[in-house]
Amino acid sequence: MTARKESARGRRALTILRSRPFLTVAIVAAVWIAASFASRGFGAYGHLRYLVELGAVIGLVAAGQTFVVIAGGIDLSVAAIVTVSAVSLPLLSLQADPTGLTAVLAVLALTTAIGLVNGLGVALLRVHPMIMTLAMATFLQGLLIIIAGGSAVTAENPLVRWLGNARPAGIPAGVLLWVAISVIVLTTMHATSLGARIFAMGANPLAAALSGVSVASTTLAVYGISGFCSGLAGMLVLGMNGQGYVGIGDPYLLASIAAVVLGGTSILGGLGTYAGTIPGAILLVTITALITVVNASPGWRSILFGSLILGLLLLSGREQARR
Amino acid sequence: MTTTATLLAARGVSKSFFGNPVLRNVSIALQPGRVHALLGENGAGKSTLINLLSGALRPDGGAIEVDGRPVSRMSPAHARHAGIAVVQQELSLTASLSIAENIGLGAYPKRFGLVDYTELAARARAACDLVGLREPLSTPVGHLSLGRRQMVEIAKALYRRPRVLILDEPTSSLSATETKTLTDLLERLRAEGIAILYISHRLNEVMTLCQHVTVLKDGACTADQSLEETDAAGLVRLMVGRDPGDLFPRWRPSPSPASAISVRNFSAGLMRDVDLDIRTGEVLGIGGLVGQGQEDLLLGLYGAIPARTASATVNGASGLPGGVPSANALGLAYVPADRKREGLHLIHPIITNMMLPAFARLPALKLRSRRAERDMARGLAAQLAIKGDLDRPAQALSGGNQQKVALAKWMPHDPLVLLLNDPTRGVDVETKREIYMMLRNLAAAGKAIVLLSSDTPELVHLCDRVAVVREGRIKAMLEREALSEEAIVSAAMGAEQQKVAA
Repeated sequence: MTARKESARGRRALTILRSRPFLTVAIVAAVWIAASFASRGFGAYGHLRYLVELGAVIGLVAAGQTFVVIAGGIDLSVAAIVTVSAVSLPLLSLQADPTGLTAVLAVLALTTAIGLVNGLGVALLRVHPMIMTLAMATFLQGLLIIIAGGSAVTAENPLVRWLGNARPAGIPAGVLLWVAISVIVLTTMHATSLGARIFAMGANPLAAALSGVSVASTTLAVYGISGFCSGLAGMLVLGMNGQGYVGIGDPYLLASIAAVVLGGTSILGGLGTYAGTIPGAILLVTITALITVVNASPGWRSILFGSLILGLLLLSGREQARR
Repeated sequence: MTTTATLLAARGVSKSFFGNPVLRNVSIALQPGRVHALLGENGAGKSTLINLLSGALRPDGGAIEVDGRPVSRMSPAHARHAGIAVVQQELSLTASLSIAENIGLGAYPKRFGLVDYTELAARARAACDLVGLREPLSTPVGHLSLGRRQMVEIAKALYRRPRVLILDEPTSSLSATETKTLTDLLERLRAEGIAILYISHRLNEVMTLCQHVTVLKDGACTADQSLEETDAAGLVRLMVGRDPGDLFPRWRPSPSPASAISVRNFSAGLMRDVDLDIRTGEVLGIGGLVGQGQEDLLLGLYGAIPARTASATVNGASGLPGGVPSANALGLAYVPADRKREGLHLIHPIITNMMLPAFARLPALKLRSRRAERDMARGLAAQLAIKGDLDRPAQALSGGNQQKVALAKWMPHDPLVLLLNDPTRGVDVETKREIYMMLRNLAAAGKAIVLLSSDTPELVHLCDRVAVVREGRIKAMLEREALSEEAIVSAAMGAEQQKVAA
């Protein structure tokens, strides 16, 4: 009896050790250890904390992206939504509200609404997610240029400034926000019926629909969540940066998708977990930091970044063939 | 015994998956001019044996022989080269390509390094003529019904001029006419000296078509003999390992019928102007040739496709359900025919497959209880005799067990009306019997069962009434006393009208 229980526990431990999230964590640890031997300042607590803080922005954008990808779609408008958030918040800063909360809530409502429009296009108009979200991104970029122009806008919002700079108990507020969001995301994904519906829809939308899953409302939900998460990420970037400008969100499109895939979520939908995306996001900022250390020209940095992501994906196992 | 050379043979092959033996020391020899039947329940190892013979898998022990010579590293390419063609049970066609392109795929005739479409069309036409496919060759395969696609699959095998033809349940989606065309064709190919391996769950087909039989049970060979030495009952005994009980449970009239669904002038998809009353406590059969609109009738009632009706009452509520969730709320459940594409989430664990209808109707942010889910799934697995670890993905199950999972997921919701689309297609005898028992028991418990079936004996022996559909209309409603295979087939073919006219 106890032997059986132990073997079951052993099997569970083995499953965790072999899982993609764990593998990604192991790669991050290996890279950190190797890099701290190679470069003196890399392993310092302050530097690692800074990496995680940068990772928080990617992690937040990738939270929504993980939901969308598991549901069988893709959101190519996340970068534009991050920019919308970072640019519109300073414009909305109201004198009447000293905390800045009203503006924050208004912007989150706006970005969630943008996500819902994506969802409407995908679910009701049956536009392919790639086309729908890419068109949305182009639309938003045009709108931002008209509203904000080429100049940077400075944020006067106290809440956002706190989010980007405060360190309660030595931990950056952005990281705390990421931890809180991670808990909510993982709970929604793996412990609610909505999460189960999202997985089912991503694996086989037809079978899900015939089993009574409302595909339209589930699709709306995932794109809405993605808009909300990108909106949060935009505020964090704004807080850390102090200024918002058109193009501030651009790095986060590839980064969010790469973090999702590095974390082992299937780009075909139906399989995956945010628990893998978290180390995936940290791995990405680590790679970026390493490339900066190498001190190459911007062109070579991009080439290195792209090649390293491809190499890592080959290393950590490609998508298994599905029938 | 015989002097004819064996074209393709397996000698004492064994194969295990993840330590589970699937085949143990199995031998089979295919000879020219003979139709060889391979029988066995789902999960007996038939598909694995075919995969070994066609080089898709390598045996762990034993040898595959081509023309009497053992081939050490059999591969699909080698098998094609040796003239071995397989018609898979899971159709391997590409929906967006045309009939001709699908038939020639991988073996296009070339001219100056480009595809020679004239030559391809001529050769594809010849292959289509053999199987009686008259659709234009440029039709995308996705536009064809399941039965016609099966014929394309067979034409694709014939296009390669095989010496050995392996057919895995070719008739499971064919209509009676198509089945007749196929059996005539196989007779002709046999006379030309082709070796044929034929797998089917329909014993009467096997008895008329085949000369030799190999029976597998739990991965071991239980018979390798001439078919003249046995009869259908004997074959079932060899497959199941015991005497065949009556396949169909005893029919009893339901105690107090009440109306479950009633529609007037109902139209959906191919179906036009249907008046139908479905009563509780009965099994209502839907028969007819494949693709006459029967499926649209079920889907329309289920709210899965748009439907119009003059008046409708569904479980006391007036009007048709506007969508699947509201149909579920009204007590309707639907089990699709194509369980891999429409019924199951193959990459997900069995347990989540079973729980999906529950997830669909619970409040979105309600926390799941893994323990309650596990208890419920264990109960369902025990109730329907679903074997195996519930955490494995559904694709690891055999066809019969997959079908049971597709049925099981509705049981906790106690649906008042079960709409079943060919639930026993490609399912072994034992599972069929279990499903029949279950349906009769559900009817006796006051549920309404609508059973769309391509298996005529099933309609005759299991149903209280049978609606026969032809060209989108219910052409005949046969009551229990009038039910016979002849009556259903003649109504399906439109023979009864001529009789009336005569």
